[in-house]
Formats: sequence, C-alpha cells, structure tokens
Amino acid sequence: MARKSVVIRLAGESGEGVISSGDILTQAAARGGYWTQTFRTYPAEIKGGPCMYQVRMGEERIYSHGKDVDLLVCFNQEAWDLHWDSLGPDGVILFDETAVDIPEEYAARARPVRMEKLAKEIGGSLRAKNMVAVGAVAGVISFNTTPIEELVLRRYAHKQGVADANIAALRAGGDESADLRGSLAITDPVEVEADRILMSGNQAIAVGAIAAGVKYFAGYPITPASDILEWLSAKLPQVGGITIQCEDEIASISSVLGASYAGVKSMTATSGPGLSLMTEMLGYAGTAEIPCVVIDAQRGGPSTGLPTKTEQSDLQHALYGGHGEAPRVVIAPITVEDCFWATIDAFNYSERYQVPVILLTDQGLATRMEVIHKPDTDLIELWDRRTSAGLDREYKRYELTEDSISPMGIPGEEGGQYVSTGIEHDELGHPAYTPENHVAMQTKRWAKLEPLKNGIVRHEHYGEEQPEIAIIGFGSTYGAVREAIDLARAEGASVGAFYPRVLGPFPGEQVTAFAAKARRVVVPEVNFTGQLARLVRGECGIPVESHAKCDGLPFTAEDVLDVIMERIPS
Amino acid sequence: MSTVPAKRKPSDYKSELKPIWCPGCGDFGVLASLYRAFAELDLDPANTVVVSGIGCSSRLPGFVSTYGFHSLHGRPLPVAMGVKLANPDLNVIAVGGDGDGFAIGAGHFPHAARRNVDITYLVMDNEIYGLTKGQVSPTSLTDQKAPSTPWGNLETPLNTLAFAVASGASFVARGASFNTKALTELIVQAMEHKGFSYIDALSPCVMFNNHQEEWKELVTDVAPDHDVADKTAAFDLALKGGFKMGILYREQRATINEKYAALVEAAKDSDLETMLEAFNARKGAAIGKPTV
Ligand SMILES: Cc1ncc(C[n+]2csc(CCOP(=O)(O)OP(=O)(O)O)c2C)c(N)n1
Ligand code: SF4
Repeated sequence: MARKSVVIRLAGESGEGVISSGDILTQAAARGGYWTQTFRTYPAEIKGGPCMYQVRMGEERIYSHGKDVDLLVCFNQEAWDLHWDSLGPDGVILFDETAVDIPEEYAARARPVRMEKLAKEIGGSLRAKNMVAVGAVAGVISFNTTPIEELVLRRYAHKQGVADANIAALRAGGDESADLRGSLAITDPVEVEADRILMSGNQAIAVGAIAAGVKYFAGYPITPASDILEWLSAKLPQVGGITIQCEDEIASISSVLGASYAGVKSMTATSGPGLSLMTEMLGYAGTAEIPCVVIDAQRGGPSTGLPTKTEQSDLQHALYGGHGEAPRVVIAPITVEDCFWATIDAFNYSERYQVPVILLTDQGLATRMEVIHKPDTDLIELWDRRTSAGLDREYKRYELTEDSISPMGIPGEEGGQYVSTGIEHDELGHPAYTPENHVAMQTKRWAKLEPLKNGIVRHEHYGEEQPEIAIIGFGSTYGAVREAIDLARAEGASVGAFYPRVLGPFPGEQVTAFAAKARRVVVPEVNFTGQLARLVRGECGIPVESHAKCDGLPFTAEDVLDVIMERIPS
Repeated sequence: MSTVPAKRKPSDYKSELKPIWCPGCGDFGVLASLYRAFAELDLDPANTVVVSGIGCSSRLPGFVSTYGFHSLHGRPLPVAMGVKLANPDLNVIAVGGDGDGFAIGAGHFPHAARRNVDITYLVMDNEIYGLTKGQVSPTSLTDQKAPSTPWGNLETPLNTLAFAVASGASFVARGASFNTKALTELIVQAMEHKGFSYIDALSPCVMFNNHQEEWKELVTDVAPDHDVADKTAAFDLALKGGFKMGILYREQRATINEKYAALVEAAKDSDLETMLEAFNARKGAAIGKPTV
C-alpha cells in the first residue's frame, strides 16, 4: 500500500550536490502538489564537511521533518557512517557504488547507483551527479518526474545542451533504481490547490516585513539570519525601501531607531551574539518609546557556540536582556506560515505601542523550507503609530494619556518637535529625575502593553482544551508537538498543547487556565536550562516539568510522543 | 503686495531648557555658533534634527528647538544615518564629544565617512571626558595626569582630522568655541556641503581640562591658498603641530543618500503580490493532479 508521506535523507560532503538534490526534490514535490518540510544540517566550515538534507513530502499538510528515514541516499562512506542509524525499520538505501560499502545485513534493502559514473558518461560532468541521485529517488517513491524535468528546463532555459544532459542523467538515475521502483510509493496528492507557496522561515519573515510596510532594514551578516538581509537587499528597493549592511549590530539597531524616529517602519535581523550587542539600544527604544522590529534567529549557544545548529536559548535574553527594566514585546512564530503573520503582528504591536518587538525564531525554523498556504493578503491589517499630527492640544511627546500611548512627533511635522532621550524625562521629554516622575513614566511604559496580555493576541491551541497532559511550548517546536499529539491521541491519551505567540508580556492567565485540569504539565524546549519552564513557573505559579534538550537538533514528533507516553497516568 | 517672510533669528532656535553646562564651558560657544548658523541657513525647526550621543556636549539637542535625538554613548552617527536615509529631506546634524565619537563610537566614524552619509558631524573636542569627571579621552595628550591616569597618560592622542581624511570624509574642518564667528561659518558651509562633513571644534572643559589659553596660542588659520581639494595637503595640515583652523579638505562626491535614491528609483517596480507569487510552489506548473 502506498504511504501518505516519506522521509528522504540525502547525505554527503558539502559541495557534492547534496543540497541541490534536496532543493530540486523539494521544489519538484511542491510543484507536483505535495506538502513538504525540509531539515538540513551542515558544517560550520565554508567548504567540505558532512552535510545532510532531509525532505519529508506527503499528500497531507506536514508539520515536522520526520524521524525515521524511509530512503537514505549516501553520496559517500561518511554519509553511511553518520546516518545509518536514522534509517527506519523498512528504510531503503541508495548509495554511490564506487564510494560506499554497505554492511551485509543491509544489502537486501540497499541499491547501488552509479552516480559518478553515469553523471560523467551521460551528463558529461560530475555536476550531473545530483540529477542521477534525484532520478533514483523518484523511481523508488514512484514520483512522477515531469515536475523535475520542468524545473530543469526552466533553470537551463538558455542552455539546451545542459538541460538535455541533466534530463538524461535524471532518467538514467531512474533506471538505476528500477528494481526498487515503487517500493516506497507515496499516494498521489488528492487536492491540489494552485495557491500554495514554498518558502523558508527567513523568507516568510522578509516577505511579512514587506507586507507590513517596512521601508528601512539595516543588518550585519550572521548565521542563520543573513538570508533576511540578503533577500531584502534585493527586494526592498523594489517597493521603495532601503536595505543597508552596517558595520556592526550596534550600528544596525541604532540606524533602525533613527529611521523609525524619522517616521518609517524599520527592522533589523540577527542571531544571539548580535542581539547581545543590540541590548543597550533596545533599552533605549523601550525608554524613548521608538517602534522597531528585531528578528532573532536563535542558534546554538553560548557565545559563538553552534552557529549552524538550532537552539531556543535566547528566550530569557530576549525577555529580560538589558539594564533597568525597559519594556519590550517578544513574539515567537510557530511555523513558516506563521513567520509571515507574526512579522506583521510584530510591526503592528511595535507601531501601536511604540515599543521594540523581538521576534524569536531559530535555525531550524529559519532555514527549513515548507509548503504553506499562500497568505490571503486581504486579511492583512496594518496598525499605525499615533502621531502629533492634527493635535488640538499642547504637544507633549510623553503625555500621560488614558491608554498610556503618547503622540509621536515625526520630523517634518510642524509643532511636533521634541528631543528623544533615554534619560528619564517628563511628559515634554525634558530630563526629569524626581521619584514621582520616574514612577509615573515606568508605569506608563509598562501599562501600555496590558492589552497584549488580554485578548488581542493570537495563541495556538492544539489537541484537547483541558487535557490530562498539558504541553506548553513556544516557537518552532510546535510542528513536532502537534504531530505527537495526533499520535498520542490515537492511542487514547488526553493531551493538548498551548503555544502563546506573545511571550512578553506573558499571558499568564491563559496559560494557567489551560493547564488548570492537567495532571501533568510538560514544557518541551530546545535549550539546557528550561527557560520557558521557569517562565511558566514564575508567571503562573504552577508546577511544570521541564523537558529541555540541547543537542542542536529540533524535536521530532517521536521525541515528543515519548515524552507524552512516559507521563500517561497508569 | 507680497511680503518677504522674516528670516529666523538665532534666538528662534533656543529651546525652553537652559544649558546645564558649567559656567565658562566651551560648549556654550559651540551652541551659540550653532544657533547662528541655523539662523543664517534659515533652517525650518520642524525639518531639522540634532542627534547626539552621551556626554556633557551631547546634552546639546535639549537646548535647541528643532527635533532632537539624544541617543546612547557613541551612537550618534548610525542614528543620524538612519534618520537621513529614512527622510533625505531633513537637515541632520550629529553632535557630541571626543570620547563619545572617538572611543566608544570610533567604529562608526570611518563608515559614516566612507559612505558619505549626507550629514554634518560636529565634535566638541575638549580632550577629556567631561561628564564622567575628567578621565582621559582618545584625544588627551600623552603624559596627561587625570583620575584614570595618575601616572600620566601612556597613549598617543588620536589625530581626528587625519583620521577623518583617511576615512573618506568629504568635508573636514576645524573650528573653536572661542571663535564663534569662524565656527558659525564652518557650520554653515558644512551643512550646505552635500556629503559627510566633519568639524572638530576645540571646546575647553573648564572643570577638568582648561586649556583654552594654551590652545589660543596654538591656533593658526589655514593659509588662504591652501587647496582644499588636495588630500595630501590636507594630511600635511592635519599632521602639523598646532591647530590649523578652517577647512582642510573638501570634495564633491555622490552621497549614499543620492545613491540609494537612484537605486530605489531604478528598482521600484514590484509589490507584495508579485513577491508572494514568486514563491508559488506550482509556478509555471501544469496545474492538476500529476500522473504517474
Ligand atoms: C556604554 C556607556 N559607557 C560609559 C558611559 C559613561 N559616560 C558617559 S559620558 C562619557 C564620556 C563623555 O566624554 P566626551 O564624549 O568626551 O564628552 P564630554 O562630556 O567631554 O562632552 C562616559 C564614559 C555611558 N553613558 N555609557
Ligand atoms: S564638565 Fe567640562 S565639559 Fe562638562 S559642562 Fe563642565 S566644563 Fe563643560
């Protein structure tokens, strides 16, 4: 019987075509109407080192990258050595016959493919190796190669010879695996909508920022956030905005605040080390009440840590990093699709509340490709900041209003002149150090965020609403948790998850209400010290069990399922 | 009959705040020159932004009735860049101290200069940290005794003018708080200059480094026949002993603002829908159930 989804893992040396094979396969699967999600690991070295590209594809929406590998493609011996133990029980192996030795006990389900040989013979160069591999994969999973051939024709539209050679290599690869043809056949997609898109978390953020109306982006390269800088450098000018690569993260955030002060929606993107450098300016933004959006694509820490691995360990830094209690908002999107919407939310909250917003993703979510529904742009709602324009009363930049949000003067606007300052100030913006004034201003700066705790924010609920086992998580773990909940409920477990989108200010009441009837509350997260678990304990005063791991890899649904099943009350 | 609107006066740029500087502080002279220059240029206060960092001198925006941005220690240049890139129609001037600009903020200076951001940067150079009470700064003299250098300063002062020329600043000048007429004129020229203009304004700290009398001895004007377009000559003047007053270097080259404006003009042709469509998973595909 055909399967609903397959997990394909391609492994080899970086530079060998592993990534391009994975990319082609992913794009072709998406074109063919499948849902996909990818996951890759790559070395921190520039050239060489082992790399792996995993594609999970299926007829139904896919939320996690999958655990047991159905089809392992080894480009070299190291690939086998590193990945054989990820093979599922019926996993099939394709390997380059000249490069890999497969142990006897796996021989029955392993098929040699003449990758290098055919690439040279038919494709005319080693470059076509990836196409041989893709062809062999397509055969095993009974994947129609038309979308792949279409892609090749498009890519080499002006080089007929290269296109022909690639297609020949693809077909030859298919012949290579002929005896395994269909052994991992996947079911055809049932409903094929035209409006699905394939993008990474970083891309979704970049497009989301454009949807939100960003007009100024400044950044400094850092893995895994650099794609945002690169993509916006190409695209932002096309909608009338500016992208600048600054000399460092301090300059990036400083210029973002300058641009926002001058009236345009502004953003920067970084990873942990860069966020550390931005901290002082984030405090300024909170105090001077200047909107800005900071993307933190977390990576493995501490320090320069594991730059190409994933971790969710900047949560506390994002929430509290900095001196002297300056307000900010922290949002964590849960899927690639949500990266788009959460970025719009980030701009909206930032503009309305005149506060810096940190958007927390991580290497896993930032770099994975996912097929998602094309966002319905009619649903986009944009909020603007309150300005001093048209005020019929004396202008006070930091006026203590009912909702604690004050009108912002925008340079160029007559009568809105004020001096933005991080020094404690009175309503006019003049330095003022009296105890009363400081209390009033601190109160104002925090009070204006109250609505973010109470109702306007989207949370994500999955599974039972009042479960016996309650899972509380944030960000990229959502997909694996969601799939695990399906699996656990199929076995009769009472389980549900709650994912706050906004973590600061923390929606303590909702989380407490969700966990009220639970026998056990578990917090899975990818870090060492259980940062979210501590936050939940502190904010909600409920006992929670931390399930933190920090191996640099995202959770799989099976990991989470184990966590759930261990806790089933017997 | 049409009337010519009256030009603004220096006092029109005074804010309601009184400067908090020590009596006799050089920064008063710089502020007075700034008011006069703004009046001479008849700048619209609603269209002008004064950006600063942290330090005694960086309090200056508070005393001016334009828009102001009193930022963080060392950060006036990137902030000013953001302001100017976001709205190129604004007049943007960054001000601050030598410690602010050339210690903590030194990393930003060469980049603002080489980018030729269209702003003016006015440094009130007192060769000391005023606000933190008299420690040495990057421009303090070797052997100077200060609270943090009780045995004498072991370091060589930074030559900010040579640094500015080397970094690619397109306008480099020196003035002094004790000659407000000349300083006013320099500020006017710097603000009229298209590109990154740097003015080092000697501005004594009467509390911790009162060198006003020595400095007056050391200043000489740039010779009238000095070729401001000659970079080597500018270096020569910057490296000479004493203080050369006036414009050392000036060059006209495209600003980053102009370059971005041209880039955006040339690139502007897309919208959100088009960008989303580029990610369409089935772009160009034969829509429908694939056949196996
Ligand atoms: C990150 C940071 N470090 C240190 C300080 C303390 N600080 C305030 S002003 C200043 C030096 C200012 O000297 P300068 O820029 O020469 O200005 P002046 O007061 O002499 O005008 C220092 C070190 C600070 N505000 N922020
Ligand atoms: S300490 Fe020095 S620099 Fe600061 S105000 Fe007094 S005289 Fe001026």
